[in-house]
Amino acid sequence: MSERVTHEELMRYLDGEVGPEERTRIESSVEDSTELRRELAVYKAMKDDLQTLKLSDGGHHGSVWNSVNRHLTRPMGWTLLIIGSLVWAAYGIFVFLTSQAFFLEKMATSAIVIGVLLLFASVIWERYREWLTDPYRDIQR
Amino acid sequence: MGPEVERELIRKCRAGDSRFYEPLVRAYEQPGLRLALGMLGNLEDAKDALQNAFVKAFEALARFDLKRPFGPWFFQILRNQCRDQLRSRKARFRLEALDERLELRPADPEKGPERKRERAQARELLWGALEKIGEEHREILILKELQGFRYGEIATILDIPEGTVASRLFHARRALKEALQDMGAEYP
Repeated sequence: MSERVTHEELMRYLDGEVGPEERTRIESSVEDSTELRRELAVYKAMKDDLQTLKLSDGGHHGSVWNSVNRHLTRPMGWTLLIIGSLVWAAYGIFVFLTSQAFFLEKMATSAIVIGVLLLFASVIWERYREWLTDPYRDIQR
Repeated sequence: MGPEVERELIRKCRAGDSRFYEPLVRAYEQPGLRLALGMLGNLEDAKDALQNAFVKAFEALARFDLKRPFGPWFFQILRNQCRDQLRSRKARFRLEALDERLELRPADPEKGPERKRERAQARELLWGALEKIGEEHREILILKELQGFRYGEIATILDIPEGTVASRLFHARRALKEALQDMGAEYP
């Protein structure tokens, strides 16, 4: 390698990232140095070969927009659904507790609601525990 | 798409309307997919990375500097997404899958089948060598030679000073040369 041309300068020259003055200086150094000429020829040949490659996407895939859009809008939908459900649930509880119904009716209704919630929570918990120990959970379909 | 149109679309997205994100996604999905394919080596992982990168970019639009172009900023997010996937167990560079997806630019018909065969062999050697040199070297060579980015754009995507790009390219090219020599390829 010539003392006057660094590896980095050679790369910039090869990639057309030098100004006119630097180009002239590097070309002059290349003419004077057999070693530099050989090195430049190797990198030029490799560059040409790499540029003959083209990455193909197979040419038959659809746009990713639909899946991106789903990811962007879904959290908003869930947020609104949860907020709305909580508001309605709170209002329902308030109406239920302040209603004129008999104590026994309130107890029976509460038992049904609490029972359903407990069953639902236990199913969720069971699924979660299964997922934690699933050996195939990182396998993508 | 011009930079002014991009800026206007980003302003509208920031206001909360994701419909204006669609033209940006459609404008950058093809070059993005090629970049992800080059880094991950298979179409399924590349599409996952692309999709996640677009979602992350949308969520980060509030922090985006409107004086800068959108492309290199997005490709930086995509590159980080690809690297995250490679580090996780979800993806690894799969040369055999990539090789099926590779095409050569049309060969000169006058040179005949011999030249075509030589080029196919050169292609196999090159991708074998690119697989050997590792992720850091491979990504900068893909950005430069297969994607055709300028040094300034590569610096933005890789989040490194522009002056470091030439040095990184030199080390990557030297590693590729050594890998090719190990595989029996002769360069002039």
